[in-house]
Amino acid sequence: MDSLNNGEFSFSNDTVKQDLSLLIKALDASLSGVILTDNQQPDNPIIYCNKGFERITGYSRKDIIGHNCRFLQKDDRNQIQRQQLKDAIAKGESIVLEIRNYRKDGSLFWNELYMSPIKDVKGNTCYFIGVQNDISRRKKAEAELEHEKDVMEQRVEERTKSLRENEEYLASIVQTVRESLIVLDPDLTVLSVNSHFLKTFKVSKEETEGQSLYELGNGQWNIPKLKELLEKILPTNNPVEEFEVEHDFPHIGRKLMLLNAHRIELEGHYRDRILIAIEDITDRRDIERRKDDFLSIASHELKTPLTTIKGYVQIMQRLLPKDASEKFKEILAKTGVYVERLNSLIAELLDVSRIQTGNIELHKEPFNFDKTVYEVVENLQAANQSHQIIVKGEATDSFEGDESHITQVINNLLSNAIKYSPDANRVEVYLSRVSNYLKFAVTDYGMGISLDEQKKIFERFYRVGEIQQRFPGMGIGLYICDQIIKNHGGSLWVESEPSKGSTFSFTLPLNERISYE
Amino acid sequence: MSDKKVLICDDDEGILDMLGLILSDSGYQTIPVQNSLQIYEEIKREKPDLVLLDLWMPVLSGDQVLRTLRRSPDTEHLRVIVISASREGERIATEAGADGFLAKPFDLEQLISRVEQVIAA
Repeated sequence: MDSLNNGEFSFSNDTVKQDLSLLIKALDASLSGVILTDNQQPDNPIIYCNKGFERITGYSRKDIIGHNCRFLQKDDRNQIQRQQLKDAIAKGESIVLEIRNYRKDGSLFWNELYMSPIKDVKGNTCYFIGVQNDISRRKKAEAELEHEKDVMEQRVEERTKSLRENEEYLASIVQTVRESLIVLDPDLTVLSVNSHFLKTFKVSKEETEGQSLYELGNGQWNIPKLKELLEKILPTNNPVEEFEVEHDFPHIGRKLMLLNAHRIELEGHYRDRILIAIEDITDRRDIERRKDDFLSIASHELKTPLTTIKGYVQIMQRLLPKDASEKFKEILAKTGVYVERLNSLIAELLDVSRIQTGNIELHKEPFNFDKTVYEVVENLQAANQSHQIIVKGEATDSFEGDESHITQVINNLLSNAIKYSPDANRVEVYLSRVSNYLKFAVTDYGMGISLDEQKKIFERFYRVGEIQQRFPGMGIGLYICDQIIKNHGGSLWVESEPSKGSTFSFTLPLNERISYE
Repeated sequence: MSDKKVLICDDDEGILDMLGLILSDSGYQTIPVQNSLQIYEEIKREKPDLVLLDLWMPVLSGDQVLRTLRRSPDTEHLRVIVISASREGERIATEAGADGFLAKPFDLEQLISRVEQVIAA
């Protein structure tokens, strides 16, 4: 094969025929479609096509030769590529473009067309050579990619929108809550506040956000208690809940506030920001006080006629004729019992209301604790012949506390001991000193309390189930006792075994005494 | 029979009646005063040996009455027992200078013994 010399065709008369046929075979083996058009003839007809062109277009040679290339576009005539092609032909320039073409069966394929002119020595364009590649698959992949991108973009847009909606939604919640919220950066500069804050403290957003907390409104937030919370408590006890701060604000007056503070510990953008939620409980406290006042008055008013009734019942008992019927005596006795019940119910109601709102006022004064115990025992002993109350040991002759409250506790514990051991005949009281505490313990030999119920008996309105029927009451006695002992810094507890009996004990700190010495 | 006079001052008529009944049964002369504004006049006229005094009364409360009595030389040593349903009653009474206190409602026996005790003291 002489014609293939150094990779270039060199035609000679001897081998031209053989070389041409080789060349045609090579062209036919190409995957690309190759055509030649004769620009010297009208309408630039196709004068040569290889097998690749037939394969790509689905047309056979006889349908191709003599036609202008445009038949490949069928009626899809408005592609801009056509004009570009036309221009290139007119100018005799080469061009690469991607154009939509249609196979014989009408199906679309993307044709990557490379067209190049063949010129004679004078520069006239005699022929065009066109090389086509079916790039439908690539186009499809591109289209899919494009679609994916669109979908992605749409999704990002949706996400962004939903995020923004979310943010707006959260912000609207923050703006709607009836509690003041402040966000501080780690240097205690106010980053944002919600509208309830602005409303409650009668300030504007502009004079608040971006300011240092302590400098807000001429330093009206420079509150020692708040400072303590932010600088001493929060760094080591995060979050802080229900922290009470009372402050007299220059314009809005005295406010009682309940604060929750939370320092953000998460890594990232928001780290060490401080959130403070402020509940204004000024009005609530006032209402609670008014309620307590109301209950005090109500109980006083209820007790007044009760005093008269009780007096008359006792007079009747005194004036009882010797020959009065047993039935009459019994009725009179019961009347007395129920008057007493009514009296203790009124007292309990008042106690619970006060304890609940935390407004128990303690009148602390030193008193002789042991003597008080003996007095209570004496009174109860006089009223209860069924049990012998035995007192042993000694605690202290000087305890500083509210004597009437402590008396109430001792009375309650002793009455319970008697009440819940109807089949026993004694109750034991043991007084002692343990370290810097005094200890009072009362033991009964009654029905006892199961472990489950031991935990609950100090709860408000809790009554041990099975005895509910046998021993009427509101179930608040032990709750009150527990609160009173707690208010004095001591603790009240029970040890008990069902059917064997119970021991209720309390301790009270004697610290105050030491500080006097 | 005792000839001791007990003045009872309470704005509640039921209490006045009941206390009057109990005390007269026990042999005391009783003087009921429902309007605390009139108590000074009654004390001046009747010269009671003991006053039973309620705390929560309209216009002039028991502790105000008691403080006034303690300031006057004539009544400075007059025996007074405060009877009240107020929870703070005992503290208020002691601070105002009462000789005794009874919480409402009280036991009849308790009342009589306290009255005897304070009059005898």
